[in-house]
Amino acid sequence: MPGGDFHPVLFFIVAFWILACGLGVVLFRKIIYSAVAMIFCFLGVAFAYALLNAALVAIIQVLVYVGAISIVVMFAIMLTEAQHGRYGLFFNRQTVFAAPLAVAGALVVAAAIVSSGVAGVGDVSLNLSLREVSKLIFNYYVLPFELVSLVLLAAMVGAILLARQEGGERR
Amino acid sequence: MTALEWWLALSIMLFCIGAFGVLARRNVILIVMSLELMLNAVNIALVAIANFRTGSPGAGIMFSLFIITLAAAEVAIGLAIVVANYRTHRTVQADSFSEMKG
Repeated sequence: MPGGDFHPVLFFIVAFWILACGLGVVLFRKIIYSAVAMIFCFLGVAFAYALLNAALVAIIQVLVYVGAISIVVMFAIMLTEAQHGRYGLFFNRQTVFAAPLAVAGALVVAAAIVSSGVAGVGDVSLNLSLREVSKLIFNYYVLPFELVSLVLLAAMVGAILLARQEGGERR
Repeated sequence: MTALEWWLALSIMLFCIGAFGVLARRNVILIVMSLELMLNAVNIALVAIANFRTGSPGAGIMFSLFIITLAAAEVAIGLAIVVANYRTHRTVQADSFSEMKG
């Protein structure tokens, strides 16, 4: 695909999918419905990456988000959702302020983008291949890469430590 | 509107949906999920800019890959905290975290 071309029909399908599923995440009353909507939203984002000529990011999105993060969220829901059948008051009292604040934030960022002209430049595409991405990772970005691996290790140990049953004798 | 502006508009809308979820929901797991939506929105913006702008090739792709990795770590830690809090408080509502304040 020559880079930078824009398929309006595909874009609007994907955008509608992502936004509908995102609204579903925020607005569904039962959290398990929200989790399913979140999984479909992540899939839609993977399609968006594919439309943007970023096949590697799309694949990693499916692997990490759809595969791993969704499972972790599902497990957390199953471990905690003994809600005793009480689903009332699922919005907190800040909703009155949160909705206008979110819309106002969107408008401010949109105005900033339009006025800065960052998006005005035409349609060029880089279309990096996997070989070029791997060269970048292991040459220019090797220090962040190693740091990220350290962070992942620390997060893994920390997650196990936090979620472990405290006081192993009373199990 | 150029193509990049359409993609950035999608990113902004998804980001603000996530921000609304973070601000307005009471369930902590749902707050974590809304945070993931916001991170995905940022990734869409990064990949779109990497696709449509020249200069510093691959920076957007790299940043989005690192953000995905850190999001995985963040979800693991955050949900571990939620589960640990659930053990002591028997709830996942955000109000129950108020005991943490000094």
